[in-house]
Amino acid sequence: MRKFQIKVDGKVYEVEIEEVGGNELSAGIISAPESVVGKVEEESVSQKAAAKTSPAPTPAKAPVAAVAGEEVAAPMPGKILQLKVKEGDSVNEGDILLILEAMKMENEIVANASGNVKRINVAVNDMVDTGDVLLVIG
Amino acid sequence: MKLSIDELMKNLREREEKVKAAGGKKRIQAQHEKGKLTARERIDLLLDKDSFVELDMLVEHRCSNFGMDKVEAPGEGVVTGYGTINERLIYVFAQDFTVIGGSLGEMHAKKICKVFDMAMKMGAPCIGINDSGGARIQEGVDSLSGYGQLFYRNTIASGVIPQISIIVGPAAGGAVYSPAIMDFVFMVKNVGIMHITGPDVIKAVTGEVVTSEKLGGAMTHNRKSGVAHFAAENEEEVYQMVRKMIGYLPSNNMETTPSIECKDDPNRMEEELLNIVPTDPNKPYEMKDVIKYIVDEGDFFESHPYFATNILTGFARLNGQSIGIIANQPKVLAGCLDIDASDKSARFIRFCDAFNIPILTLVDVPGFLPGSAQEYGGIIRHGAKLLYAYSEATVPKITLIVRKSYGGAYLAMCSRDLGADQVIAWPTAEIAVMGSQGAANIIFRKEIAKADNPEKVRQEKIDEFQLKFSNPYEAAKRGYVDMVIDPRETRPRLITTFEMLSTKRESRPAKKHGNFPV
Repeated sequence: MRKFQIKVDGKVYEVEIEEVGGNELSAGIISAPESVVGKVEEESVSQKAAAKTSPAPTPAKAPVAAVAGEEVAAPMPGKILQLKVKEGDSVNEGDILLILEAMKMENEIVANASGNVKRINVAVNDMVDTGDVLLVIG
Repeated sequence: MKLSIDELMKNLREREEKVKAAGGKKRIQAQHEKGKLTARERIDLLLDKDSFVELDMLVEHRCSNFGMDKVEAPGEGVVTGYGTINERLIYVFAQDFTVIGGSLGEMHAKKICKVFDMAMKMGAPCIGINDSGGARIQEGVDSLSGYGQLFYRNTIASGVIPQISIIVGPAAGGAVYSPAIMDFVFMVKNVGIMHITGPDVIKAVTGEVVTSEKLGGAMTHNRKSGVAHFAAENEEEVYQMVRKMIGYLPSNNMETTPSIECKDDPNRMEEELLNIVPTDPNKPYEMKDVIKYIVDEGDFFESHPYFATNILTGFARLNGQSIGIIANQPKVLAGCLDIDASDKSARFIRFCDAFNIPILTLVDVPGFLPGSAQEYGGIIRHGAKLLYAYSEATVPKITLIVRKSYGGAYLAMCSRDLGADQVIAWPTAEIAVMGSQGAANIIFRKEIAKADNPEKVRQEKIDEFQLKFSNPYEAAKRGYVDMVIDPRETRPRLITTFEMLSTKRESRPAKKHGNFPV
């Protein structure tokens, strides 16, 4: 059991988080992190179910609720130079989706499936890391 | 009682017919309904018409456990023999799923081992067609021994005869390792499955739910794991692919590569080669286009086309003579070398070297892929495979540098120092210890920091470095590059250079074997 203090709008809340089991992720269940802030209405909340989220919740990237479809991930770290599609566009497998500048190369990132662009997670000039989901085709 | 010759002949025919009937009409129909062919249909598609000679038709198992004494297994669940592909001798075995699930028992394995032994003695390629439920459990440790016998032969035959495995059914557990030791694995989509532990075991042990196609299907192994080198849409296609591949290979390690009549002009000049590679080093392009303009009839038989696509490997011909090509692919991962690319190309280089296939290396590489995933994954020991494989190879090696060639990756891509026989560069080549931007930032760090306008000075220094080193001439001054050529002349130049190298003899110190950084 670990205790955390969370400050929301100047008010301090004490949160206890218990880690249950180590390797929940291998069970193939990856639920989107529950909104921690939402549950801190009461003075002290002990969240026993927290272990289903990744061990250290990182809300910065997490809020992207799972959108069903083929995810296009960054093959290497770099900078988004240009977006060639927008949400809702229909694309064919092999179409160029965006240009990722990495290793001093303007890498063309192509669609790994045909469908509509359901979501774009990045904007021009964003820095991305290997494996970051750039967009989702569904 | 003496039987007449007619009766004896009738008896022989009956025995043969029984084996040819395999698992019976019902099971054959079931096989066809799964979109699969029978073992004999497969062999007919693979080999030249009517060339197949079957061996060991009458072999029977001798297991009596669990009622096996009452089980008949015509042909022991595997069809073995020899025949020809384009009139060249080939040994073949095809597991027969219609006969007790093509399961591998003692005598089944003995039949396969016999063709391997013969293939090695006669010096001819051995092709395996895998479609088996796995070990014949009733035979216990005898069936395990069968697998062991196979692995051992695959290993002893490695580098002696080409070994090709075609997966057109399940290959699970121990069955996967025989194909893995062989040289090339072909899989048919939605038919071939390879895995060590199946979906049921995985579910029981880890709770993970995964379909067998996703776990071990053709595209999984072609794209993700790299276990398979080729994927075919259907069985008809796969046998044509294997026949084509055999055309590039010698029959054994003592032969030179087959040469065919070349219908393409050896002196063909290609205007297009001036335009494919952008002079701006930041622009990607399709390296396969470069290859297609150089080789005979633009025909590049790519191996591992879906795996580690930042490097290309495959066979082609120059003036009718088969060669192996390794090329960086700037279109993918900027053409960086990484763990998978090193693995893929090192194994291909060793295959070419074992079978006397000259190697052409096309270089446009910015470096090794940076990142913790690569470092933790052991890029150091995997990248070492590439250096080792190139250094070890004694076949003729030509390196053609078309654009970037930086740092450690310059060395890794068959540089002069790793034993390239000829290094040829295009005027677009940039051979340097690193890219000009990074280099200028390091060498002139103090000057840039002190300057009133650091950005201006930085750009000046980058340009200065670019002008001095981002070309092939510094390397040519030292003889690291033998010649800088007009890209249009590439094809004739490569053909004459390979001809010049064709009598190459290079010996290595006697040793048991090196310690390849696996």
